[in-house]
Amino acid sequence: MRAANALVAEVLAELATMVAPGVTTRDLDQAAEKLVRDGGAEPAFKGYRGYPSTLCASVNDQVVHGIPSNRALHEGDIISLDMGVRLNGFFGDSAVTVPVGKVSEEASTLLRVTQESLEKGIAQVKLGGRVSDIGHAIQQHVEAHGFSVVREFVGHGIGAALHEEPQIANYGEPGRGPRLAEGMTLAIEPMVNIGRPAVKVLGDGWTAVTKDGSLSAHFEHTVAVTKTGPLVLTRRGVPASAA
Amino acid sequence: MAEPIAVEGIVRESLPYAQYRVEIDGQRQVVAHTPGGPGRNYVRVLIGDRVRLELSPKDLGRGRIVAVIK
Repeated sequence: MRAANALVAEVLAELATMVAPGVTTRDLDQAAEKLVRDGGAEPAFKGYRGYPSTLCASVNDQVVHGIPSNRALHEGDIISLDMGVRLNGFFGDSAVTVPVGKVSEEASTLLRVTQESLEKGIAQVKLGGRVSDIGHAIQQHVEAHGFSVVREFVGHGIGAALHEEPQIANYGEPGRGPRLAEGMTLAIEPMVNIGRPAVKVLGDGWTAVTKDGSLSAHFEHTVAVTKTGPLVLTRRGVPASAA
Repeated sequence: MAEPIAVEGIVRESLPYAQYRVEIDGQRQVVAHTPGGPGRNYVRVLIGDRVRLELSPKDLGRGRIVAVIK
């Protein structure tokens, strides 16, 4: 689990440095696939339910699951990079949203609040806590800033499969759902819209966009539940050895 | 990669071809089918039943009824 997630963190950090005006999302996807394979792993998304690519690259009003294409990035865009790998039988999964060049103040606030909400969610990962405590903390933080949380997609358990139980909604009442136990590994991933929460899926069967066209951001970490609290496996600098 | 949410809803209307209109969150409505087919038990769903749905990742307006909640 550690090695797979450490690789995801490294690749995403590398991809984030590539993001610039004029770069296409396919360029990023090809770089992602090469980095993953060089790291001895295989892409987890490619072929998953027929998904065609290594990377999900979701620009601006695209929420998640944007399929890489010839679309070139422009100054002022925001792009979510979401990627998973399979290494030695275990899965890693993480996402970041990064600005392309200089972005509006509203967009940078969205990025900051979404990332903060992920950290608030991670802070709820402790023994004896409940799964819905995570979503509750995320929703509280997001809505306090006037943004909204996407309901249709959720985080998930992860381990020997990309998607495992439990599902982790990014909203709801605290104190519901399974209790968190040592050794569980969770992919926590708030998706936050500037406008309304509603999303729709485009005709390609994958790309989810906001119904009102407002900007959307997405951050994701894979987190292990330990005795001493959350261990963020997709944070850079977490050692890849052991377990 | 985010997963489409599995939700609970209430059956509001019976449609042709073993499909049902299901209300979720008290507002959105989706068209859902029962998991029929060879070797499957027939799932009888009545209007007013609470059911658990998996939404299609390809079309969030459609789903599959996976359980009736008693």
